[in-house]
Amino acid sequence: MRRRFLEALGVAAVIMAVVLLLKSARAPVGAQAGQPGTAAKAGPAPTTPSGDPDLQGIWTRDSDEPLQRPAKYASKETFTDEERAALDKQIAEIVGREASEERRQRGTEQDVGGAYNAAVFTSHLRTGRRTSMIIDPPDGRIPAITAEEQKKRNELREYSLALLQATDVCKNKLPACAGGKYGPPSPRRAETPPYYIMNAVVGSGGGAISRSDGPEDRGHGERCMAAALPDFGGFRRIVQSRDQVSMLYDVGQGQGWIRVIPITQAPHVAKNVRLWWGDSRGRWEGKTLVVDVTNFSPKSNFQGSHENLHLVERWERLDSETIKYTVTIEDATVWTKPWTVTHELKKQKDEDNRIYSEPRCHEGNYGMAGLLVGARELERAFAAGRGPNPATQCLGGCGGFAGGFADEGADANPLR
Amino acid sequence: MPTRFKGSTVGGVIVAIVAAGGIGWLWGTRTAGATTRPIPTVGGKPDFNGIWQANNEAYWDLQAHSARAGMVTQRGVYPYEYAQVAAAPVVALGAAAGVPASIGVVEGDGEIPYKPEAAAMKRENGEHWIDRDPELKCYLPGIPRAMYMPYPFQIVQGGNKIQMAYAFTNASRVIHLDKSAGPPDDTYMGHSVGRWEGDTLVVEVSDFNGKNWFDRAGNFHSDALHLVERFTLLAPNVIRYEVTIQDPKVFTRPWRISMPIYRRMEPNMQLLEYRCVEFAEEFLFGNLRKQPLVKHWEGETMIVDITRKTPPGDKLYEWYRR
Repeated sequence: MRRRFLEALGVAAVIMAVVLLLKSARAPVGAQAGQPGTAAKAGPAPTTPSGDPDLQGIWTRDSDEPLQRPAKYASKETFTDEERAALDKQIAEIVGREASEERRQRGTEQDVGGAYNAAVFTSHLRTGRRTSMIIDPPDGRIPAITAEEQKKRNELREYSLALLQATDVCKNKLPACAGGKYGPPSPRRAETPPYYIMNAVVGSGGGAISRSDGPEDRGHGERCMAAALPDFGGFRRIVQSRDQVSMLYDVGQGQGWIRVIPITQAPHVAKNVRLWWGDSRGRWEGKTLVVDVTNFSPKSNFQGSHENLHLVERWERLDSETIKYTVTIEDATVWTKPWTVTHELKKQKDEDNRIYSEPRCHEGNYGMAGLLVGARELERAFAAGRGPNPATQCLGGCGGFAGGFADEGADANPLR
Repeated sequence: MPTRFKGSTVGGVIVAIVAAGGIGWLWGTRTAGATTRPIPTVGGKPDFNGIWQANNEAYWDLQAHSARAGMVTQRGVYPYEYAQVAAAPVVALGAAAGVPASIGVVEGDGEIPYKPEAAAMKRENGEHWIDRDPELKCYLPGIPRAMYMPYPFQIVQGGNKIQMAYAFTNASRVIHLDKSAGPPDDTYMGHSVGRWEGDTLVVEVSDFNGKNWFDRAGNFHSDALHLVERFTLLAPNVIRYEVTIQDPKVFTRPWRISMPIYRRMEPNMQLLEYRCVEFAEEFLFGNLRKQPLVKHWEGETMIVDITRKTPPGDKLYEWYRR
């Protein structure tokens, strides 16, 4: 129980920033904000004194569109207003049931791991117009990955499953154990992971792998290093001068960051300089800021792409209220072809200061200390014959944690 | 000095001397009219856009001090303060681990007007530097400390907002020249509200959480800190930076620091991140690993035996909570 308590403390600390952020940032389903037809009347796109399109202000999305088009909407690019209203209602009902805590089987690891869903992740933006943010390929899906990448992912998955195989997740054949089976503790628990562990698989229950030998096992999110480019959520504060555009990203669990895009024809920085958010070079093309981004770090991670990621971003000020953000994503070592994502950002009131500009996840990361102390205590207790084998305890990748939705079935996310 | 300062700081010195040489030294005067090169402007105001860096030793200690043998020292053969030697945490780094001397950046008599109990706390802070300094933990550095750390920062001067991006831990702040709601909580980096007084940018900074220091010498403040910063462009590539510091919980009167901040003039200069969250992990969590990474070395290999015994009340999160 002590471990649970410590972990819960840790988790609570890590997510405090999210609670604050989401409270201020997200209109709950059922509120008026973001409803079609209630947006401020848009005027023409402004320009700066130097004649460039003016991107300045605080920006965020006011509706939710899935990154990839769900299979059931394969032939459909947009939702009707009726479909959007029905989806909003369905999502509100699912997360309502989730919040009631009746749906969970009390005392399971999934219950504990997902305990803060009810408090934090049950607010959702309204469903947007499009069935996917991906506009290319036309099917709205991330292109197929390369054979090399598939091999890598399989190796990581095998390793991850080996760490899960003695836990209840596999014993109870939960979705997080898909592809694995229940068995005795694996000797692979003592191995270094086959690749640098980065992020948890979406919906895998926090933590990257079921192990807490050191901070590296926990993945970028719990290490307060999850912010990546491109990013499709949160807020941006843009300030610009003639030769530079700065963007403060208020994203994730207090994991925000700032980038300054130079407007320049100069070539990218030297190849041996590797950066978490890449090296940006901006230029104006008509109404649009076009940014070329390279030189990513082998440790940076966007959907499995690392140092070979190449982005071409387009920031287009459509009118006084709207920026259209489009990004073409390319990494020939990961995907068989480039793909393009687009979404609209809506202007927020400057005066409201509606942005939490201090990304202080790290400063309050009691969670990491709690997780590691908890794991060491578990080992000591087992060694002293007063606790379970640590190999049977799921410490990450356990499932049961996906924004108020179930892993599968009627309460799964209808937009996934 | 630590290796990482070498390239940038030395380059900066040369550039700064060249930049300042042509204009004479205008320290103490605020008239830009005496310069031989016009002050660049944007929107009728001095143009602070670009990448800047202080070039002094204030990050070690705001006050004047002699050079010393190590970032951390201990008693040597003699019992005198001046005969201290480098201590275990840095002894293997030789001459690269010392601390450079400084003429100081505190105006007037060079003293910081601590209340008696705060002066005692400052001394204690200095003695427990490696346990207490938030910089070592890669926490957001706060203002004014971020302005003179040995890392560059970038100013983006928009219409009603000025954004400053710091290389150190990717920290930033927005200076609001227009009306803006306050922050939702107290802050590390402060809430900055600016105005123009002639050609000087005056910034009032408040809403601090009191968890920051001024330097590596243990100079500190509380959550009652209130700053008035003055940015004056002396020449196209030199800012006179001056800060009046008020904190009635810690100091008996307001006091002031000032220094030049120089433009980084490399034609291809750009801000490169120093994302130290990861770099501080071993320092913060190393003792909680299943298998410790720091070992006693053996055989012909140098054995660095470090004793870092944390005093009561100064464990990682105990100090943070204060």
